[in-house]
Amino acid sequence: MSTPAGTPDPGRVDGWVWPARLKPPERLAETRAGELVVRHPPADSQASRALVTSLRAAASDLSSIPVAEMAELLGGAADALVSGLDGDAVSRVAANAGMSTAMAAQILDGMAVSWNGETLRHLVAAEFADPLVLDGFVSGGARAIRAAGPGLTLHLGAGTVPGVTVTSMIRALLVKSAVLAKPGAGDVALTVRFARELQRIDARVGAAVAVQYWPGGAEDWDSWEREVFRAADQVVVYGSDTTIESVRARAPAATRLIEHPHRIGVAVVDPGRAPGAAAEAARAAALFDQRGCVSTQLVFVLGDRHPVRRWCASLASELVALEAVLPPRRAEPADLSALHQLRGRLRMKSAASAGTGADESDLWYDQGSRWTVVLASLDAFEPSGGRTVWVAAVPDRNACLRELAPLAPVLQTVGLAGIDADRADFARELCGLGVTRVVPLVQVPYPEADWMHDGSRPLGELVRWSELR
Amino acid sequence: MAEPDCVELTRELAALFRAGGERLRDDDEFDRMALRVHAAQRTANPTLRRYWDGVARAQPSSWREIPPVPVSAFRDVPIVSGAAEVVFRTSGTTAGASRRGEHHVASVDLYLAAARGNYRRHLFADCGPGSGAPRLALVSLIAPPDDAPDSSLSAMAGFIAREPEVTDPTWAFHPERGVDVHSVTRAVGATTAPVLLLTTAFALVRLLDGLGEVRLSLPAGSRIMETGGFKGRVAEVDRATLYGRVGERLGVPRTHVVNEYGMTEMLSQAYDGVAGGAGAAVEREHRFPPWVRTRALHPADLSPLPPDEPGLLAHCDLANARSVCHILTEDLGSTTKGGGVRLLGRAPGASLRGCSLTAESFLRLTRMSALSGDAPR
Repeated sequence: MSTPAGTPDPGRVDGWVWPARLKPPERLAETRAGELVVRHPPADSQASRALVTSLRAAASDLSSIPVAEMAELLGGAADALVSGLDGDAVSRVAANAGMSTAMAAQILDGMAVSWNGETLRHLVAAEFADPLVLDGFVSGGARAIRAAGPGLTLHLGAGTVPGVTVTSMIRALLVKSAVLAKPGAGDVALTVRFARELQRIDARVGAAVAVQYWPGGAEDWDSWEREVFRAADQVVVYGSDTTIESVRARAPAATRLIEHPHRIGVAVVDPGRAPGAAAEAARAAALFDQRGCVSTQLVFVLGDRHPVRRWCASLASELVALEAVLPPRRAEPADLSALHQLRGRLRMKSAASAGTGADESDLWYDQGSRWTVVLASLDAFEPSGGRTVWVAAVPDRNACLRELAPLAPVLQTVGLAGIDADRADFARELCGLGVTRVVPLVQVPYPEADWMHDGSRPLGELVRWSELR
Repeated sequence: MAEPDCVELTRELAALFRAGGERLRDDDEFDRMALRVHAAQRTANPTLRRYWDGVARAQPSSWREIPPVPVSAFRDVPIVSGAAEVVFRTSGTTAGASRRGEHHVASVDLYLAAARGNYRRHLFADCGPGSGAPRLALVSLIAPPDDAPDSSLSAMAGFIAREPEVTDPTWAFHPERGVDVHSVTRAVGATTAPVLLLTTAFALVRLLDGLGEVRLSLPAGSRIMETGGFKGRVAEVDRATLYGRVGERLGVPRTHVVNEYGMTEMLSQAYDGVAGGAGAAVEREHRFPPWVRTRALHPADLSPLPPDEPGLLAHCDLANARSVCHILTEDLGSTTKGGGVRLLGRAPGASLRGCSLTAESFLRLTRMSALSGDAPR
């Protein structure tokens, strides 16, 4: 289906922003994303070549902007983006992401902190001992060195977490790489608004930025995807193993891939030493409706099963309270069906193993609620999403490490609560397993701008270093 | 071991099904039998007893009050009263499922009794003694039972192949190699008898694709039973379009194509028409035999919905007397005032993927761990 470009429609969102110098497409294709229909230019190899050529040409202008000025410009655009989000705009972002408006508003508030000018200056300073290496060669000893983002970075965003693509774009622009962003289907509305702010705030930056949504992996977009994978210097890809393997299989060797696969967030709680941990764990699970890589899905609670049951009951109470403050999205039959199946299946497993200890699980949920707390051994664990918090009772930290070992390839964030003694030793052992972020549980939902994202420096992974002797 | 009552009940039910089960159309009669089966299952299966005790406060006074067991529970727990004669497995993993569902069937005879009368009514209505109807040449795009011993659908195809009207069965599907188009064309070319084509919607699409521009005219009176397509691999099959292609390529009118709805976890099936007199695809509704009751339940709280309102389907199938009768499915549909069921497919939901680990990725991880010799968890 296609519609003439420029036709306004409240149920539709534009999923594209091209540099002003390019002729806009005459017709737009439409793809459903969440509750909205995304309009975007159709697959057209001529258009993709023109787009890439235009962005590459603009990249040379980017390199002449000093990094300090770039941080200011990007921070200004982000401020304008956030301050321009009135109730209607937030509702559209929420509808696009398939989440409640209250949830979207809180997420945007939380993420915006990492986008402002001051934070970006700190980020640059944290990553580069002398940020001037981003502006040109800096002498040091026998050589001069510089760091530069390549001409064009393609960003393939993750499905339905608003803000992920904006963050990715900001990082690339900070190192002065032009940006072609394909947001996740649920992150289109916000990404497009940000690109428009960039165009408005600075013509040089605006000319080096394009947003183009397309249904990733679709058969009739294969040629387009291969072409942009070839044309980009690097591809930052967020997504499932299948998405990443598909990009790997089609991108040429010369195109650098920076991968952010699906990850799992875990918490470790000593309830006797952390009276507020249940509230913190509930928030870490409920924010993003467990769609974020940082979202807590599994909590190890130190102690015997009986006191851990009490802690689970507290967690359940906190999740009840959060349903009012951070309401989940409108329920789809599939979500509800999955909840009934999960709860009933766990009850049946528990009934089958009654008295044996194995597979025994305790459940907390209210009829009609969207949250579930499952106290079970880790053998029963499966990521369930929504607001399903799996709790495992473990006698001590060593048991926790043993239980986590099989999850090593997908570990990312571990939130700690009440784990104060020998914290650094425990963190070292966690990181030995593959964990890349250990933070107080309360800080889990919003990583700092300079966090070691999946084990890499957020700007460092984007630049190439060169030397002059 | 099963209690004698359970075994005796199985025999009684098999006899009742073979006689058509008409008396079970009466609600009180159905209730009485359902509660007897429920009591027998409680006695024979401590797991079910504990499950029901955990979720229900009182003894049920009607089948509607028996808490349904979610169909996904068949993935984790053998639900059987007595020893299983055969274990049927679901065809694959669906989104989020970490393992295949297993139906431990303690009485294959009860399965045959439940399936046979029903498929005969819907596929062989014009056959039988004194009908003067020709015999039927069976072509099956469902794997033969020997190749797929754990498939309940293959077992049913095996039952059908043994019907007295059926001649020269041709098995033209292999679990690994898929549809054998050449065998189908050869079988059709070699017979003048009407063909009974048994197929999944998936295999039927593959056959039509494999034929390309070739028109393979099946003899007059040929009929097709297709199944699946409401969930799983061919979720997007548009039946009207599919039946249109069948008419063009195989010469079988839509009146002779019927859809069967069944699942590994249930021993009874529903059909949406009688071969030879089936209505337009969009107007059809499925009908179970009298020993099955279906309700649509509100997705939020599982409260029962009136006819024509879509919800999650729960079936109470007395043929599951040796496993569990009342099952909550993942299928969306509605009941009709006339006692039929309209199927709407898997419960739809927006794809809510972000960058957190999904069940699918987790499944891959645990499989990789298993392959590398580590304990998965």
